[in-house]
Amino acid sequence: MSGQLFSGRFGYFFTRALINIRQNIFVNVVTVGTITLALLIVSLFLLVFVNLENAAASWSERVQVTVYFDRELSGQEQSSLRSSILALPGASRVSYVSRDEAFKRFKSRLRGQETLLEGVPSEVLPTSFEISLKSSQRDSAGVEAFVTSLRQLPGISEIQYGEEWVRRFNSFLNFVRLLGALLGGFLVVAVVFIVSNTIKLTIYARRDELEVMSLVGATRFFIKAPFLIEGIIQGAVGSLLALLLLLGLYEVFLHNAGSFLTFNPTSGLSFLPMEYGGGIVLAGIFLGFLGSLTSLKRFINI
Amino acid sequence: MIQLHNVSLAYQKDASALNDITLHIHKGEFIFMTGPSGAGKTTLLRLLYGALTPTRGQVLIDGQNVSRLTPSEIPFLRRSIGVVFQDFKLLSSRTVFENVAITLEVLGWGRADIGKKVMHILRQMGLESKIHLTPQRLSGGEQQRVALARALVNEPKILLADEPTGNLDDANKNQILNIFKEANVKGTTVVVATHDRRLIENSHKRLVTLSKGDIVEQLEKEEGIKPF
Repeated sequence: MSGQLFSGRFGYFFTRALINIRQNIFVNVVTVGTITLALLIVSLFLLVFVNLENAAASWSERVQVTVYFDRELSGQEQSSLRSSILALPGASRVSYVSRDEAFKRFKSRLRGQETLLEGVPSEVLPTSFEISLKSSQRDSAGVEAFVTSLRQLPGISEIQYGEEWVRRFNSFLNFVRLLGALLGGFLVVAVVFIVSNTIKLTIYARRDELEVMSLVGATRFFIKAPFLIEGIIQGAVGSLLALLLLLGLYEVFLHNAGSFLTFNPTSGLSFLPMEYGGGIVLAGIFLGFLGSLTSLKRFINI
Repeated sequence: MIQLHNVSLAYQKDASALNDITLHIHKGEFIFMTGPSGAGKTTLLRLLYGALTPTRGQVLIDGQNVSRLTPSEIPFLRRSIGVVFQDFKLLSSRTVFENVAITLEVLGWGRADIGKKVMHILRQMGLESKIHLTPQRLSGGEQQRVALARALVNEPKILLADEPTGNLDDANKNQILNIFKEANVKGTTVVVATHDRRLIENSHKRLVTLSKGDIVEQLEKEEGIKPF
């Protein structure tokens, strides 16, 4: 019975909210427009940030540890060393580079000047194991820890892992993340401020309605409920429009931008993952609801 | 029905809007309050529907102490009081019908009942052909009748009016006065604040005169009021 009463009430509030939107179409268009633009800026920022993170992840694959040997390893040596390296925490892939393979690579780097290598035997080059690390192990500390445990293995002496490059890459990544957090933080504060003030103004423009409802004996909840539902609808519509616009911008301008930004030359920029889209819609709904709630608090004391 | 005991109200510390007012209005009574602008008429009405609380003294409506009501209890007091103003306070985005229906929606009435009741009162007010219009399309007199319909549609115990005829011509004033009288005959206690002497002269009702926050004169209805 009370459930029925509640759903009836909710039906009334929902219908009232829809009628209010129709009757106050101008202020609603202004609010939805503000939410759309604000969230479009936030989602553009997210799109760039997510792609930077993706690019960083693919760059970090270059973090490799190489173990050198001054002789060719037998098949048995190779496989026993390979399995003991793979048993170390953090190792993801191990490949053996024979003298011939190393010489081939060297030759291809000297393309056009191969004559320089005439008379140079392949035996001068060392053989090696190239070890890729799991993504969680690719920061400076992770690499150091891996190398330390690698040194414990018998038969391994010379190890190289481009310490300087790993260190720089890590500080670059940390800088990008810090910048992202700062910019994102400012952006969120600005968006909350702009949206809540717009909602405040639109509710101020309708304060007569609040006053009349209060005069005829409406409870605070009864006055607020349709406005809150209106706020939720505005937030949902605004955020969906922002995502649609972002998709449009992405398809028209950004889809192929990756190739000249050299982020990820093979696939170009990627669109926001589903969970980010869902997050933006939720954020829009939350913004609309909270903006209305705080504004109503200010005006309902008639 | 309405009792004020030694009621004072100060908006600021040393400027009081009402001084030690004691006034009793009986059930089914019709009274006028008059006085110059700033005399305290509007303040007194606002005390009666709980929009203000007195600095001192007590306001009782139907035995209920208004100054002791919590904010969540005030709406229930207002459901038994209809209020009309000089500027009508109609919602410009809603039709005449919707403006009147608000009162019953707040009370949780069903749609069909609201429709019947609203049409009934709008017919009484002579507005049945205007239900679909927004208030801007109506004359001042028509707008005040819509406001009265909104105030009276749930048959309140008390009707408060603050300068209800301030913006109206003579023909419309009489029409509005007649609506007050009809509501009063049906049992509603009516309190009208006005400085429109003609309205008061024509009606022969009890008259309370305020000046600078004090009651300076009370005339019973038998005494009438001398024309200027």
